[in-house]
Amino acid sequence: MADNDQSNSVSEPLDLVRLSLDEVVFVKLRGDRELKGRLHAYDSHCNIVLGEVEETIYTIEEDDEGEETVKTTKKQAEMLFVRGESFVLISPQPPS
Amino acid sequence: MLFFSFFKTLVNHEVTVELKNDISIRGTLKSVDQYLNIKLDDISVVEEMKYPHLSSVKNVFIRGSVVRYVHLPAAAVDTPLLEDATRREASQAVAKAKQG
Amino acid sequence: MADPRLSSSNHAPGFPPAIRLEPGQLIPFDQPQQHMNHPPPPGMNPMMQMQQGPPPIPQLPPQMFTTAAQLLDLTDKKLMVVLRDGRKLIGVLRSWDQFGNLVMQDTVERLFVPKEFLYADIERGLFLVRGENVSLLGEIDLDKDDYIPPPYQLAPVDKVFALKKAEDVENKKSEKLKQKRLAKEGFEGEHAGEAIL
Repeated sequence: MADNDQSNSVSEPLDLVRLSLDEVVFVKLRGDRELKGRLHAYDSHCNIVLGEVEETIYTIEEDDEGEETVKTTKKQAEMLFVRGESFVLISPQPPS
Repeated sequence: MLFFSFFKTLVNHEVTVELKNDISIRGTLKSVDQYLNIKLDDISVVEEMKYPHLSSVKNVFIRGSVVRYVHLPAAAVDTPLLEDATRREASQAVAKAKQG
Repeated sequence: MADPRLSSSNHAPGFPPAIRLEPGQLIPFDQPQQHMNHPPPPGMNPMMQMQQGPPPIPQLPPQMFTTAAQLLDLTDKKLMVVLRDGRKLIGVLRSWDQFGNLVMQDTVERLFVPKEFLYADIERGLFLVRGENVSLLGEIDLDKDDYIPPPYQLAPVDKVFALKKAEDVENKKSEKLKQKRLAKEGFEGEHAGEAIL
């Protein structure tokens, strides 16, 4: 592939995403969801494809005393296409 | 256009489309268009009792804008090719921006 | 009223030029192909195209991958249309355009109350549905026509409507509570930012 001179520099926001290709990324979505997975593709709409994904869903549970607690549900997926509109942020460094 | 082409390579594979209203529909990918509207054949709804309205439906046209995820069969995806195509599309976008 | 046949036959010969595929944009995944650069005239049979020149790999004709082609298959079929607000409409698709606007004939709105396993039908008639409000279209299998899985039962409209309304109010309340609580943890609701104030 004929790479141009700026293939390793970051001059626009999506360049950061390009440098994360084939790396594990952390993605925060609308609708109280987070994803961790290997980034295989993205486009200018921020649609992405992730591999070996772990999805975390946050829900609220109310116990008998009316106390609200945040509960997390985890789901696995081997390969996932994620629609760009759902995006809040993408980070190359997954929080530990 | 990257994902439009990508989905075209997945035609006739089994996928699960999860919508923003939490319904998950499994079926055979039959078609896709430039808006990433998706057509599935021989569908089944993951939680049928919760969503009984699709029980007599055999194929669906799903509007791209209501999709949250598409679960794909990993075996059908050539990830190095996909990453190369992504880089190519990104550099094309940069070139286009410079011209314009 | 106009003959419904008329409306559907309007689409048949060709697809709106605005959504034709552009050959150059297929490059990332498709091998170079001659026939891509010379799309056949609109209305040409895909089979004829296959005979013209042997494509390097078996490839579906590009005109299959348009909104128009997808909706063309569903024209004059009995459909289940789900709107973005969750409403379910059953009717015959008579006409549509490139925006996905739909004309539905003999429409019935079906209400479901999953908690009580009840449903009800309301006659609605002729509908024009704006495309952006459509979530999905499903072709109803005529062999399984109107199959609703047991223990769902048909109930009077008034009863189902009241139950549904109560359920919607309840859902809205718990959703609001959840959003408020999760906003403190730094989360965005699915529709936050587009909220109507």
